[in-house]
Amino acid sequence: MKSLRGLLHLQQVRELSLFVILILVLLLFGSQIDGYFSPRTFSRIATTVSIIMIVAVGQTIVVLTRNIDLSVGSIVGFTAFFIGQQFGFNRDLHPAAAVALAMGVGALAGMLNGFLVAYGRVPAVVVTLGTLAIYRGALVEYSGSQSIATRMLPDWIKELPQQTVFTIGEVEFGALPVIALVAVILFQMILMYTSFGRRLYAVGSSTEAAEVAGIPARRLVFTAFMISGALAGLGGFVYLARIGTITAVAATGLELQVVAAVVVGGVNTNGGSGTVFGTLLGAVLVGTIEQSLIRMRINEFWKDALLGVFILIAVTTDSVMMSRLRTWWAARAQKAHKREALSAPTAGQVEA
Amino acid sequence: MKHLRLVFLMAVVLLIAVQPAFMQEVITATPGQEVDMLLLPKALGNAVFDQAHEGAIEAHAELENPGELIFNGPSEASAPGQIDIIESAITQGVGGIMISANDYEQLLPSTTRAMEEGITVVTWDSPVDPSGEALFIAQVDFSETGTVMADMALRILGEDGGQFAVLSATPDASNQNAWIAAMQEVLETDEAYAALELVTIVYGNDDPDDSYNEALGLIDSYPDLELIMAPTTVGIAAAAKAMQDEGLCGQIAVSGLGLPMEMQEFVENGCSQEFALWSFSDLGYLTYYVTYMLQTGAITAEVGVTFEAGRMGTYTIEEDPTREGGLRVLMGPFSVYSAENLEEWAIPAEGS
Repeated sequence: MKSLRGLLHLQQVRELSLFVILILVLLLFGSQIDGYFSPRTFSRIATTVSIIMIVAVGQTIVVLTRNIDLSVGSIVGFTAFFIGQQFGFNRDLHPAAAVALAMGVGALAGMLNGFLVAYGRVPAVVVTLGTLAIYRGALVEYSGSQSIATRMLPDWIKELPQQTVFTIGEVEFGALPVIALVAVILFQMILMYTSFGRRLYAVGSSTEAAEVAGIPARRLVFTAFMISGALAGLGGFVYLARIGTITAVAATGLELQVVAAVVVGGVNTNGGSGTVFGTLLGAVLVGTIEQSLIRMRINEFWKDALLGVFILIAVTTDSVMMSRLRTWWAARAQKAHKREALSAPTAGQVEA
Repeated sequence: MKHLRLVFLMAVVLLIAVQPAFMQEVITATPGQEVDMLLLPKALGNAVFDQAHEGAIEAHAELENPGELIFNGPSEASAPGQIDIIESAITQGVGGIMISANDYEQLLPSTTRAMEEGITVVTWDSPVDPSGEALFIAQVDFSETGTVMADMALRILGEDGGQFAVLSATPDASNQNAWIAAMQEVLETDEAYAALELVTIVYGNDDPDDSYNEALGLIDSYPDLELIMAPTTVGIAAAAKAMQDEGLCGQIAVSGLGLPMEMQEFVENGCSQEFALWSFSDLGYLTYYVTYMLQTGAITAEVGVTFEAGRMGTYTIEEDPTREGGLRVLMGPFSVYSAENLEEWAIPAEGS
């Protein structure tokens, strides 16, 4: 019990260190950009990262099982186009039906990935690299070179990005970041408090051990991919609401941003460790750096390189801080242990 | 009476026979000849290329070509993808290849080989080096694009001018760069535009998401900005959506090169004031006509050759001022779309 609590603490320390880095990054950009610390900046970053965040939640679950899903960008693009087209056929499609349809289409795509990885025993990188191209190709074929224009969409979806759900101080939280936040909180709860969640960690730590312990590892991996697909479908819906004009190239390359958010967020690519909150912080950190670099008006050719440098610095600082903290933590624990050990005989002596 | 009719008939026959001698070079196409044609866009899944395809289909039907019209392109805009398609078209033995090239140099070995095999290679939209093509169908004069954009900016910002920014495609896109350079030259040299201040050029990489974020970055960085000029169909739609989501329509104007189908709604709701484009359908139609006439031997690719391209009228092959040793057929002109002529170009709402 004690060791489990120690582990939880460590996880929180990791998130704390990411949080500190985020503050440092904000201070750095704040000193460089006039009027940076405004409510607008924060709502801007929140809205920008919402699509990445939704998809990254699913990615976190897949990475926890020691797999990866590279096909999410294509799933987002495909569902965005598909749902847009459904609105073209039937403008009165109910919002709930649209969301359900988006997640359903995404889940189907995810199930194919999951089936091949879990039951076909093909490495996830290979499977999802393949489906990345297949889903994109399907979109190109399906779209027939047409594009979805905003005029085909009903008003409620076009106005979704403008809706404010709640306000803290002067910072407005729009509908899109709130959808992302709900996904984050829901799946953080699932990971922490359900047996399904705990079993995902077990499968990621050691598939063999998990199987020996009677955990249906394959089914869990399959489900993880299905969830990732469904959330990518939800991401596609949000993409449609935000961008409006959808072509066959929609959300190309999104998978890289998503994987970046997950990795920066401290989810171990070898599986078995990491949290959805970590991913949230990772997505916000990457989004903040990206958005701030746009504000700084840096030469276009340098921007991507700088983004990479910033991410590297952030991750390195994070791991250095983590290892320092871990040593400090261990030393303190040891000291406490010693003190306990020392105090125990003393107590005995007193008794004697 | 009978004699009179005969004399009249003879006169008509004589006139028809003699006509070419009078008018010298206006050559018309002979319909019904069999030529297999390949229309090769930069990539599939882009609405403008689909429109070019429609124009080509129209010409194909009009010229009663019993051969096949193939429309094929790579799924992502890449030169290697186009090379593959050219190579297989050579093997299939098509008569004409019409290319919107992804690269000025890389396609040369393939297109040269095609020409050696007796295939007519015509480029449109985006040319290759003159050594690897018969001629180039130029949509508009590139320097004219600069003037058209400067004029739109002037009309939107008014006599007292103001600040505006350019949101382009990729930083190395040769056509966009040429247009922006042409516009900058007009702004600097012509007193009429003295009040217009171009504050910056940013790049959305023809990605909807990037373009959207760059548009937001612009309004954050330049509080006095009054206009975003996007010489790319992806950029202009994303910028208009961003202004809509921010509730800035009417304060910050959006203009540039856009697709009527995608921009209609933004003109209707005041997010975009006016934009320009040439007709891609006309471009496909003209390209098809020229290729057909070249391959059937009706015309040769030489300066001064004048021909009639169906409904579009008479064109003359000329030297391409932008490419040494190159030939071009200049299509032009721009169509400017705004709220004033909305009724002429708007597509009625779906379902009504």
